[in-house]
Amino acid sequence: MRADTAAGALPLSGRRRKAGPRVRLMPQLTGWGFVGPATLVIVGLSIFPAVWALILSLRDDNLLAPGTFVGLQNYRDLLDDPDLMAATGHTLLYSVLFVPGSLLIGLPIALALNRPLRFRAFYRTCLFVPYVVSAAATGILANFVLDPQFGIVNDLLAGLGVARQGFLQDPSQALLTLVVVSLWGSVGLPIVVYLAALQDIPRELIEAARVDGAGPLRVFRAVTLPQLRPATVFLVIWQTIDALQLFDLVYTTTKGQPLDSTTVIVFYLYQQAFKLFHAGYGAAVAYALFVVTLLVSGLALWYARRGEAAA
Amino acid sequence: MIRKLALVFAVVPALALSAACGGQSGDDDGKVTVVWWHGQADAEGDILKGLADEYNKSHPGIEVKPEVGTTNVDDMLQKVQAALAGGDPPDIAYMYGSWSATLAETPRVADLSSLVKDPSFGWDDFWPAEREAATVDGKVIGVPSVVDNLGLIYNKKLFDAAGVAYPTKDWTWDDFRSAAKRLTDASKGVFGTSYVATGDEDTVWRFWPMLWQQGGSILSPDGKNAAFATPQAVQSLELWRAMAVDDKSVYLDQNGEKFLPLFYSGKVGMEIAGPWAMRDLADHKVDYGVVPLPGYGGNHQTISGPDNWVVFDNGSKRAQAAKDFLAWLTKPEQDARWSLGSGNLPIRQATSKLPAYKEFAKQYLGADAFLANQDNAVQARPSITSYPDISAKIGDAIDRVLLGQATAQEALTGAAAEADKILAKG
Repeated sequence: MRADTAAGALPLSGRRRKAGPRVRLMPQLTGWGFVGPATLVIVGLSIFPAVWALILSLRDDNLLAPGTFVGLQNYRDLLDDPDLMAATGHTLLYSVLFVPGSLLIGLPIALALNRPLRFRAFYRTCLFVPYVVSAAATGILANFVLDPQFGIVNDLLAGLGVARQGFLQDPSQALLTLVVVSLWGSVGLPIVVYLAALQDIPRELIEAARVDGAGPLRVFRAVTLPQLRPATVFLVIWQTIDALQLFDLVYTTTKGQPLDSTTVIVFYLYQQAFKLFHAGYGAAVAYALFVVTLLVSGLALWYARRGEAAA
Repeated sequence: MIRKLALVFAVVPALALSAACGGQSGDDDGKVTVVWWHGQADAEGDILKGLADEYNKSHPGIEVKPEVGTTNVDDMLQKVQAALAGGDPPDIAYMYGSWSATLAETPRVADLSSLVKDPSFGWDDFWPAEREAATVDGKVIGVPSVVDNLGLIYNKKLFDAAGVAYPTKDWTWDDFRSAAKRLTDASKGVFGTSYVATGDEDTVWRFWPMLWQQGGSILSPDGKNAAFATPQAVQSLELWRAMAVDDKSVYLDQNGEKFLPLFYSGKVGMEIAGPWAMRDLADHKVDYGVVPLPGYGGNHQTISGPDNWVVFDNGSKRAQAAKDFLAWLTKPEQDARWSLGSGNLPIRQATSKLPAYKEFAKQYLGADAFLANQDNAVQARPSITSYPDISAKIGDAIDRVLLGQATAQEALTGAAAEADKILAKG
């Protein structure tokens, strides 16, 4: 911080050397004084815990008994942990279904809501409400509605002549069911983002395309979609981070069951750290996930920039 | 000058804030403070607050501060981990017995051996299962806060409707299976019984009595190998598989929160559960009975899961005050108010001789049966730090069998091999 302040003051102090740097230092310090409390809060609430977790990940520690420093052993263990591999598989499958799914569902709904419709505001509100509801509430609701024996969905299916399903309690359906529940809960975000982006598309562009003889499909492909590109990039990154860090919905519905079929990475590290007393190992898993998330986001951004330059 | 002042105003609150977070001091105005995380909400919390108030009045030098800590005791350890990392744990916290081995390795956990050995404490008046759950390698890590055991609770209405005779204390597991089958009525959504298939300790501890009843044990006598995959245990697990998969008489509860509510609403005929259900059973006006677990060859052993009040050492003054308070709290008179008032079994036998217990037994149908069943809790789970890891493997094995994805034989031997690996690591 000190060095920054001094460097910032230099060009100015060069002009009137006689007054000396002290005169200019004061406003700088005042500035820091105002920024300071917020900086302290940010450092205290995010950077300090992050550093602390990094140190923890290098230890064999359960946060209760005095642990030992084990260097990179926890990270080596990551590579040889079949349960973690399984959890990674679940997270990947979930992400691959959830991210494109939320965009593919969100975009058509946004397009529909962008047209002059009766009660448009009402529909918009309806579609956005699940997004505002906490994941905990969504999870509890899903548990009720999808209960294999007593849930309303199976009653409806039975009425339609379809066999009763296990949903969250069937090892082969649970993860898919979770994807559907999360889509219901979070499709509001792509809708709102796409709606905003759609309204930002200049009317002249669309009109010009029409004048040139483009049909509605051509307008959509040649004008609308490219114009939505920044929104799409943002949504892909945002939803991917969300998907990789899935936890609360699992915690409130399946707790990783049945047969660990919904144990995703963050739930697995929670179990390791807080249920099985391996806090050091849990922190290592968290850091590995952090690095992967960073890489994925970086890659997506790079790809998007490259595409823009090419276009 | 004004700028300087601005600087001061901007910085000082931040410093004050961080200092304020620094924590509670031990003895303000000469009083010794005992921070007590009891984990109890609502009516239970009020009972404990009343006890603390009363203690504070009669002990002017001490202030016991009851705080909830967390409303779900499942999260208590996590909360205390955070508090320990911050260097400021509570003086007393409510802890599950399954955490004892790990707590014993925590330097801040006070050894209560001298407290319980004092004749006035009456340690022998507590059930063996409680004393065992509180003791790890000779270190007493806590004193009992709640005691329970598993028994068989049955809904008389459903038995009458199906024309099945009520369970008796001499029931075998085969009797249990055939009754469950006859109680099951898919068209009405009624199950004979249920099993908690969360894959965690809640799944595992329900299985141990069947192993123990047939002379088996969880680990070898030297504690170095898994010993639970006996042919008898395989047969017991096979019985549950047949009930769940073939008979379809078992409701598999995958988050452990539905099986009791389903019993209260008459959807399940029998539950393997503990005295903690008695309050809800009374509230829902269920006409029920309680017998010991079904047995093998007349052996009806059960399992007990006692919880503890654990003391964290925040300096000798506070630790001593915490111990004195716990000695008072666990006296029969106070126990009657806490345990009986919250619908739990008394934590010590002397409490059951008090008039308050007679009132309690009148109010709760199953009280006498659960109290008598406490004598069937003669064995305990191993107090080793790797037990949670081993339990997780066994929980998975049981779940796979109940869902029909593995045979009892391969699941249990597989879990035993995993357990051996964990034990070898130490």
